[in-house]
Amino acid sequence: MWDTVDGMPVWQGGKTDWAAAAQAAENCGAFRADCEEECVADDDVSCYNCRFRRWTRDSFVCMKERCL
Amino acid sequence: MNLFLCIDDTDDLDSIGTGELLENMRDAAAARGLGQGGFIVRYQLLIDETIPYTSHNSSMCCTFETHDRDALTAFCQSYLEANCAEGSDPGLCILTNNSGLDYTVLTAFGKRAQTEVVSKRDAYAAAAAFGSDVSLSEHGGTGIGVIGALAGAGLRAGRQEGRIKGKLHPLPGRPTMTAGEFAALYALSQLVDTNGQPVDPQRVLTFTEPTKAVFRDGMVTGVVCCENGVWKPLPKRKKEKQ
Repeated sequence: MWDTVDGMPVWQGGKTDWAAAAQAAENCGAFRADCEEECVADDDVSCYNCRFRRWTRDSFVCMKERCL
Repeated sequence: MNLFLCIDDTDDLDSIGTGELLENMRDAAAARGLGQGGFIVRYQLLIDETIPYTSHNSSMCCTFETHDRDALTAFCQSYLEANCAEGSDPGLCILTNNSGLDYTVLTAFGKRAQTEVVSKRDAYAAAAAFGSDVSLSEHGGTGIGVIGALAGAGLRAGRQEGRIKGKLHPLPGRPTMTAGEFAALYALSQLVDTNGQPVDPQRVLTFTEPTKAVFRDGMVTGVVCCENGVWKPLPKRKKEKQ
């Protein structure tokens, strides 16, 4: 599910792997919902809706290790 | 007079978002008797790893009707300095909303900020021709938020499409309604399908999941889709991301 680029985890599923992003967030103890206007997934708990995801052109980087 | 208020780069991972900050600032200004604000539109700017955005690089813009521009400007500036996240790089743009103004340059700047990396110098250069009709101000850190603030105001003035802050929630016990009823109930100025075509007001919609309105053609717009023969407001995941 994740690649490592420059030491940071990059989501392999791009911006539309809704089911996998929800599953990943369910299994992550660090999920924190972003503000409403930045949430894009219908699933409330999803990496796509997490405050720690930093969007890139094709996907996102998980910043939780750097922020927590 | 009517103004566009736009802010950017006000948050960090622990603070409220820029949209909520603008909402609070708008409401606080109204409570001070400075006028009345409108709905908030979110504009997605360029996603590029070289830009120092927190997580999504978007700016937020609303209109505000006021009788005292100077007092409103001073209020917004002090509000941002008191309420933006420490370490953020906030910028504020206040732009006259007047159909007699030609916003082509500012809208073009906003579109550039959605597709390429632009600088603060570019922002001030684009704003220069607008004289006292625009004010750009920096309120901490690098002040690089003026780029997104001007871009958002230019996009809004140019009636470019953006997402409207807030959700439209279904009414309990009312899973279906006609498209016309849906538009009236949620104050939508137009209702279109995913191809952008107007929807028959008599079409029956199933509305059981929250949805969002978009700002399109200068109007508050609802979008509906047909899934398995059922017409319904577009779920979030069907909306284009970034």
